[in-house]
Amino acid sequence: MPVDPVGAGGAFEALSDPNRRTIVELLRDGPRSVGELADDMPISRPAVSRHLRLLREAGLVTEEPLGTRNVYRLHDEGVDALQAYLIDVWGDAAARFRIVATNTTNRSKRARKP
Amino acid sequence: MIEPLELIFEIDCPPDHAFGVWTERFDQWWPRGHSVSGDPVEIVLEPRAGGRIYERTADGTEIDWGEVTVWQPPERLAYLWHIRRDRADATDVELTFSEAGDGTTRLRILHSGWERLGAGADEWRNANRGGWNGLLPHFTSFLDSKET
Repeated sequence: MPVDPVGAGGAFEALSDPNRRTIVELLRDGPRSVGELADDMPISRPAVSRHLRLLREAGLVTEEPLGTRNVYRLHDEGVDALQAYLIDVWGDAAARFRIVATNTTNRSKRARKP
Repeated sequence: MIEPLELIFEIDCPPDHAFGVWTERFDQWWPRGHSVSGDPVEIVLEPRAGGRIYERTADGTEIDWGEVTVWQPPERLAYLWHIRRDRADATDVELTFSEAGDGTTRLRILHSGWERLGAGADEWRNANRGGWNGLLPHFTSFLDSKET
């Protein structure tokens, strides 16, 4: 179930934190475990785990078993949800704007020439 | 540097009218669902450089969405845009209204500053480019059908 990217717990909120942005950046190079992420960051493993939980809830990362450990990877659907949101907002806004702009002009023309 | 999103289309009215509708009637056409409260009683774009863009909710709370950075009617308008995000994560929206002949306007919307949204921004941006191209023909046919 995709999460609304701009709502509470969504992708934009998840990425508002610099540590979580660092995690996403590290995961762009491939899947990693909590320990491997913590090695490259100035925060503790439990802190990394907390950030990963928020990223997972926002739909940006997924967790999966690899051998005896769990690794995290970037989740394409989270990226898709952000894309869909942007298209939706601008698409909707531009269409509505154009209708109002066009119709208000036409109305004033009709008023002049009844 | 992450390339901005660009959207260009023509409107059947002169630039000064298009600029006026975008700003003075922002409340009338901006999709209400794309807000913080989901159902604001008013959406305001203050018509000047430094002007606030905000929504007012039923209980009178004002929630900032952005800030006007360029106010040059009827050609140029730009604002910071951080709806439902911290101001520090604001992206940039820039609009150019130009004369396109026969009393029509060519509107160019440039949405940039994605790098401020973090490491994933590049991927969203690139993925989104295909989305825009696919979207425009759909737009045009939708709008044409409304106009005739």
